[in-house]
Amino acid sequence: MSTLRPILLVEDSPKDIELTLEALAKCQLANDIHVARDGVEALDYLYARGSHQGRNSGEPAVVLLDLKLPRVDGLEVLEAIKRDPALMQIPVVMLTSSREEKDLVQSYKLGVNAFVVKPVGFSAFLEAIQDIGVFWAILNEPPPHRLSGAGSNDL
Amino acid sequence: MNDLRPDLTTCDREPIRIPGSIQPHGVLFVLSAGRTVEAISANAAALTGRSAGEALGLSLEALVPDLDPELLDALTGPLPVDRTQPLGSLRRGAVRYDAMAHAVGPHVVLELEEVPPGQADSRQIQALIGGVVTHLQSVRTVAEGLQAVARTVRELSGFDRVMIYRFDASWTGTVIAEDRNDALPSYLELRFPASDIPQQARDLYRLNRVRQIPDASYSPVPIATRLGGPIDLGFSALRSVSPVHVEYMNNMGTQASMSVSILIEGELWGLISCHNKLAKRVPPEARSACDLVAQILSMRIASEAVHGDAAERVAKQGALTRLLAAMAASPNYAAGLATLPDALLALTGAEGAAISHEGRVTLIGRTPDVASVRAIIGWLQGDGDQGVFATASLPAVMPAAADFADAASGLLALSLSQVRSTHVLWFRSEVIHTVSWGGDPRKQFEAIGPDTRISPRKSFEAWRETVRRTSRPWSPAEVDAADNLRRAIVEILLKRAEEMASLTEDLQRSNRELEAFSYSISHDLRAPFRHIVGYAELLSERYGEQFDEKARHFLHNITESAHTAGKLVDDLLHFSQLGRVQVHPVRVDMNKLMSEVIRSLAFETRDREIEWHISDLPPATGDAGLIRQVLFNLVSNAVKYTRGRTPALILVSGRVAETPGGRETAYTVSDNGIGFDMAYVDKLFQVFQRLNRSEDFEGTGIGLALVRRIVERHGGRTEAIGEIGRGATFTFALPERAAERI
Repeated sequence: MSTLRPILLVEDSPKDIELTLEALAKCQLANDIHVARDGVEALDYLYARGSHQGRNSGEPAVVLLDLKLPRVDGLEVLEAIKRDPALMQIPVVMLTSSREEKDLVQSYKLGVNAFVVKPVGFSAFLEAIQDIGVFWAILNEPPPHRLSGAGSNDL
Repeated sequence: MNDLRPDLTTCDREPIRIPGSIQPHGVLFVLSAGRTVEAISANAAALTGRSAGEALGLSLEALVPDLDPELLDALTGPLPVDRTQPLGSLRRGAVRYDAMAHAVGPHVVLELEEVPPGQADSRQIQALIGGVVTHLQSVRTVAEGLQAVARTVRELSGFDRVMIYRFDASWTGTVIAEDRNDALPSYLELRFPASDIPQQARDLYRLNRVRQIPDASYSPVPIATRLGGPIDLGFSALRSVSPVHVEYMNNMGTQASMSVSILIEGELWGLISCHNKLAKRVPPEARSACDLVAQILSMRIASEAVHGDAAERVAKQGALTRLLAAMAASPNYAAGLATLPDALLALTGAEGAAISHEGRVTLIGRTPDVASVRAIIGWLQGDGDQGVFATASLPAVMPAAADFADAASGLLALSLSQVRSTHVLWFRSEVIHTVSWGGDPRKQFEAIGPDTRISPRKSFEAWRETVRRTSRPWSPAEVDAADNLRRAIVEILLKRAEEMASLTEDLQRSNRELEAFSYSISHDLRAPFRHIVGYAELLSERYGEQFDEKARHFLHNITESAHTAGKLVDDLLHFSQLGRVQVHPVRVDMNKLMSEVIRSLAFETRDREIEWHISDLPPATGDAGLIRQVLFNLVSNAVKYTRGRTPALILVSGRVAETPGGRETAYTVSDNGIGFDMAYVDKLFQVFQRLNRSEDFEGTGIGLALVRRIVERHGGRTEAIGEIGRGATFTFALPERAAERI
């Protein structure tokens, strides 16, 4: 098992998945990346239920969450994570096309850790993903009480 | 302590319908079924040869033999209850009597009136009536025909003086026409107070149109009765009149009188009042003829009233229609009214008008000053302030109005909107006039002796009174016209409120749609451009080496185009969001903002030779982020369009100025760049309007539109001056206090 916890990328557009994975690859992160295609899948993954029953990869280091998703949208996933004491410590980064202020305001109200508007230029996107990756997946220490839980052998 | 002053209403209480006596120029019987005599006037003894006491209980036939069987039949047949019906005549010795009867409850009142000697000429009566009918048809107005009516009645009746007497709303009477000989003085144009003809007399005059007093010095003839209660003589021709009235006649110097009621729509309009210096009896057929003349006159008056009223109402409707159109065409109905001063005055026949709307007063024509108008409105509000108020003597109800009685003795006021305090006032100026009374109206009665029995005034010498602080009165049609205007305005207001509500709803819906639309664009339209750029850059990065120059050029263009498209979407969204974003006005240090803008343009200015001339800029009041955007757009435009100028000159200055709308701070950005053609200045600030080819100067065509939008949201203004090849100057001005529009 990797010493690094995985990154959960929640994104419905295959092109965005591909480009984001390209960008993350350029960051040379060692973390596993799990892709969920909508809000339901993302929550199933987080709660290790449904098709993720019995998953043993620990809590993700960071959730990269698109705002507009089929079935359950990004804000609802964010709300579910931040409302649940078992999940609320997981950092969530909103990664979205939207420049809408109300989305940003709503995300921060719900307790998002960062909000990134995907730039049109790929190099700018690359920079953004790199910053996120380095900060949240590598530098960000998991909160102490999580250590006694499922991921105790991460140390 | 007893109050010995006579009560003016004493006459109102006198039981004139049941005097218990008759005048002596005839005899009266009250008969029950079977023509049994239940009551009889004492003077019947001369006719019947029996005392009243003996007569009671006998049948009429037994008492008065040889009566015409037709008359007897008529007495048992149905008889009118609201007038007395002529039943032919009978002769007893040298005296001829005209018989007439009417029903009172279960009884019949039979009157035999002595006919004075000398035969009435019925052909002459017909000719006189025919003449007055023709005359009344030929005159343009009733007023022109009144004198002829008085003359005809005098010829029919033979009185010394015949007056046409008209009541006003307070029952004061005025003599409006008269025909007379020299036996009695003229009363023409004299006024008589309402108490001269008391309430119950007027009521009786309305029911019983003709009454006469042949001799004011008569001794009333008592009626002997075996009935329990009093006998109602309201419709009797011989009814004895009030002793006060007889005294009044004596004081006027008249021995005989007759009056005929002029009724319009059942209401007492006036009287034809006839007097004779000496005693005088008018035979029944002449009285009927006078009544007929009075009725013809009534019809003529009624028809003129209807026609005159209709013509006046049509004219007023025209004025109202024009006012409504003006109000509909104006955003605010009060302003609309003021655009048609003539129609507004014509509507009520006023000399001046004032419109007060939300504290602003507009004066039209002859009015008191604004402060006085406000005082009147304050008084109206204190007085309940509802609907329509009309007075011909404002100082009488509002004492402070005496100060401006010259312009506003008459007031007609509309209270329109309680919430927004809107009033329309019409004024009529003071008309000082003299009224002649038939005797001093303040001395109508004089107490005679220690018993408080009242006596009518002794003097009928014309008594002149000057009436001040009174205008021409407002006619019912004028008051109605004002009320119609009020209703119309209330309807307009209601309709506007409904329209506003529905418009607001429409706007809210389209705003929601627009928001949903721009939300969707911001998500869905940006993504494909991102993808294009992403893949193109990946392609160039991974496989660029394998491409030839041409392929790399194509790839570069793909990336650049997608970039531009993405930026366009971003700019457009930014622009549309500005309509929704909250503006937070604060004090903005423009010098600091200016240095920030120059710093952020470092990349664009890195290889350029630019001479900056930046004056000390006064602070602005506005949303710091948005004002920065304005300054940035203008300065970056200046940098962009001076490309190729060596050196480029960019001047930035600001000043505080006083304008009619208040203090404003204006900032100017000038350059010596390519400038623009003033012919297109209007296009400059519109979205997507470009005055240059895009390959020469990059940009999306939104920058200046954004500038204008931001400045307008601050309640400010923008302007541009330019000349091709000689540079451009852009100015934006912000109000000192960011306007409430924000």
